Amino acid sequence: MKSFARWLVGLYPRQWRERYGVEFIALLEDANLKWRDIFDLLRSALEARMNQTALPHIVNLASRDIPNGYELETAVEYPREDGSTLLVRSFHREIDLGDSYITLNHSTRGFEPAQTILVCGKKGEVDGDFRTDQTEMLILQIDGTVQRTEQTVKTWLKYDAIRDRMREKYRSGMAAGLSPDEIHRRILATD
Amino acid sequence: MSDPTLLVLASLAEGDKHGYAMLEDIQRFAGVRLGPGTLYGAITRLEERGWIRPLKPADDRRRPYALTPGGREYLEEQLSGLNQIVRTGLRRLKHA
Repeated sequence: MKSFARWLVGLYPRQWRERYGVEFIALLEDANLKWRDIFDLLRSALEARMNQTALPHIVNLASRDIPNGYELETAVEYPREDGSTLLVRSFHREIDLGDSYITLNHSTRGFEPAQTILVCGKKGEVDGDFRTDQTEMLILQIDGTVQRTEQTVKTWLKYDAIRDRMREKYRSGMAAGLSPDEIHRRILATD
Repeated sequence: MSDPTLLVLASLAEGDKHGYAMLEDIQRFAGVRLGPGTLYGAITRLEERGWIRPLKPADDRRRPYALTPGGREYLEEQLSGLNQIVRTGLRRLKHA
């Protein structure tokens, strides 16, 4: 019956198996399985398939300190309702120059062409937790043209502290040998 | 009490445990035999909500889980609600 139960684990969604498969099979080997457990597995596999859209999978997450700033690379796989997945990749670089800053974001969704956005911002007046900045956003198009937008934006100053805390937790998680998904869950659990 | 998520949280309130240890513990303290699918359904939901967190497995297969501060708070809230229902029910039975 145990080999049959192990075969049934294949009914769970791939993403679920990648995360829980090894430990779940270890449990099936340890437990004294009864026939009702087979029905329990079938019902649970069906539930996991119905709920899989709620579980994005972090394929890659890397953060680096650079002079006056940092870089962040992410690759996140989002399950779709039809069972396929959408991979969203993104590269983000932020440099703080004191009274101004530059951010570069390069990202793509699935097989769509990549989009690159460059933002140059001049820091303005601070009012409570917010700062009013003048920014120029350049969207680099795939045909070589540039879409340019100038605007006044309000920046939430507490965001910097939250971002730094998350990056520190990411660093300690990597040092502890955790996977990107595990680090992300820990951050969600404590913030 | 037969909600699998509460049973898992109550089991982990005693200390970190892997799946099989949770099944045995729950059967001992609650008299409920959870199926392996039900147990891992509860583990998946609890981990998504940040109420438990996975630890590094000692043997690369049997991964233990620990209660998070948020999970402890949620369990306390739920148990205190249940306690109120039990006390009210017993009092009303006494006077019926």
